[in-house]
Amino acid sequence: MERLIFDAAALLAILFAGLMIALRDPVKSVLALVVSFFALAVCYVLVLAPFIAALQIIVYAGAILVLFLFVLMLLNVGPEKPDQDRRPIQTVLGSLAVVVFAGMLLGMLRASGSRLPALPEAVGVDALPDPAAIARLLFSDYLLHFEAVSVLLLTALVGAFVLARGEDAK
Amino acid sequence: MTAVDWVIVVLRVVLPALILPAFVIPLVWIERRVAAFIQDRPGPNRVGPFGLLQSPADILKLFMKEDTVPASADKLLFLLAPALAVFAALSTFAVIPYGPTIEVAGHSIPMIGADISIGLLYVFAITGLSVYSIVLAGWSSNDKFALMGGIRSSAQIISYELAMTTAAAGVVLAAGSFRLTDIIGMQQGAYHLLPFLPRWNVVPQCFGFLVFFISAFAETNRLPFDLPEAEAELVAGYHTEYSAMRFGSYFLAEYINVIVASAMTTTLYFGGWSLPGYHPHGILGGAVSLCVFAAKTAFFVLVFIWVRWTLPRFRYDQLMKLGWKALLPLALVNLLWVAGLEMYRLHR
Repeated sequence: MERLIFDAAALLAILFAGLMIALRDPVKSVLALVVSFFALAVCYVLVLAPFIAALQIIVYAGAILVLFLFVLMLLNVGPEKPDQDRRPIQTVLGSLAVVVFAGMLLGMLRASGSRLPALPEAVGVDALPDPAAIARLLFSDYLLHFEAVSVLLLTALVGAFVLARGEDAK
Repeated sequence: MTAVDWVIVVLRVVLPALILPAFVIPLVWIERRVAAFIQDRPGPNRVGPFGLLQSPADILKLFMKEDTVPASADKLLFLLAPALAVFAALSTFAVIPYGPTIEVAGHSIPMIGADISIGLLYVFAITGLSVYSIVLAGWSSNDKFALMGGIRSSAQIISYELAMTTAAAGVVLAAGSFRLTDIIGMQQGAYHLLPFLPRWNVVPQCFGFLVFFISAFAETNRLPFDLPEAEAELVAGYHTEYSAMRFGSYFLAEYINVIVASAMTTTLYFGGWSLPGYHPHGILGGAVSLCVFAAKTAFFVLVFIWVRWTLPRFRYDQLMKLGWKALLPLALVNLLWVAGLEMYRLHR
């Protein structure tokens, strides 16, 4: 049962990731990405990482993509015209990338054998691992990394603010 | 799992999802009657005794009306958006405990949809998704008023979500868990020094409660923060182009959100289904707890209605100023205060 839902969710995630690239309307691309992220969150839940799943939805689907949508709607970006500024070299390089990626994927599948990693046996929802364990790791063993990332993000925030303010706003 | 277990699971998961929309019918009537009382007029009193059948009649009307889709609208998204609104509103309730775990004929029945370790995060995740229903409605309608409403809503909900989660983080810090049953568990009993005071989170975290509850008004688009639909300036905001039951879906979602926000306030700050000094046993205990939970939730629903007919709508800049310059700093101070309390408790 879990296996079936996992496969369906994984398939959905890949399908909508593809749609995200294929769709010409940027608003719809964002929406396809939302569905893809949601399906990914379902996968996380099924491999017993509910905390990551919640973060995936809160941070990516709930905040970052809403901001994307917000900007797209404010700027009123219309659908992309087909073959806009398209050069032949793009098609060639694109096809090459697809071939290389497919090769890598096949190689990895061969290396790991035909079996996919087994999903845990049917466990009750109550038995899912505790977010407290993640918090304990984050705020003890990885405290330095955590603080470093915090400072980095703050710097990025201040930098974005300075850039957005422009020259004349002094 | 035996057949009986399956029935129990279905009952405790499906029943709340069915009962919740049913509560909206009397709630709309209550809102209109309370509004009338506050404004010193009779209110709906013609259809049935005390006007009680007004809401069913309105719902019948909504179902019978023609469902129009604007010619220039994006049809798929236009039809999808209201369904998303109801889905997000209903699924939030899945993790809110509405009673204790009761023992009936050898079966242990937790009175909650799903007691998951990330309960509170789940609620915020689903609330975060509900913004799409409004943004999509605004964008797919292809109407300037609807678009304005959608844009306002996305900015408003993201801004207030920050203050709301920071306030709720105080509760998580005090409980040491995202699990809503744990959060209720830590609020049992009374204080040693002040035995008349229940150990509810609202006592040490009154500012956190204030920020959470005010943000809840913004998250549910209720007055004084109903700028996404501000009828004086935006016609009806994001649902301008909707008619019949699709408009009704937004109406339904708004009222379910009010109930869920009240239930969350009850759970996080007022001890949920628990009553100080009362230890529920068996079916009777479960029923009493359910009534306690319903009564506490109903109180906050009434506050929602009361505030709506008391305060005028904020201006947009006032809304943003309040969210970022008043509520967020207050929530951060509350978080520091709770952290201090916890430090004191650990080192005593």
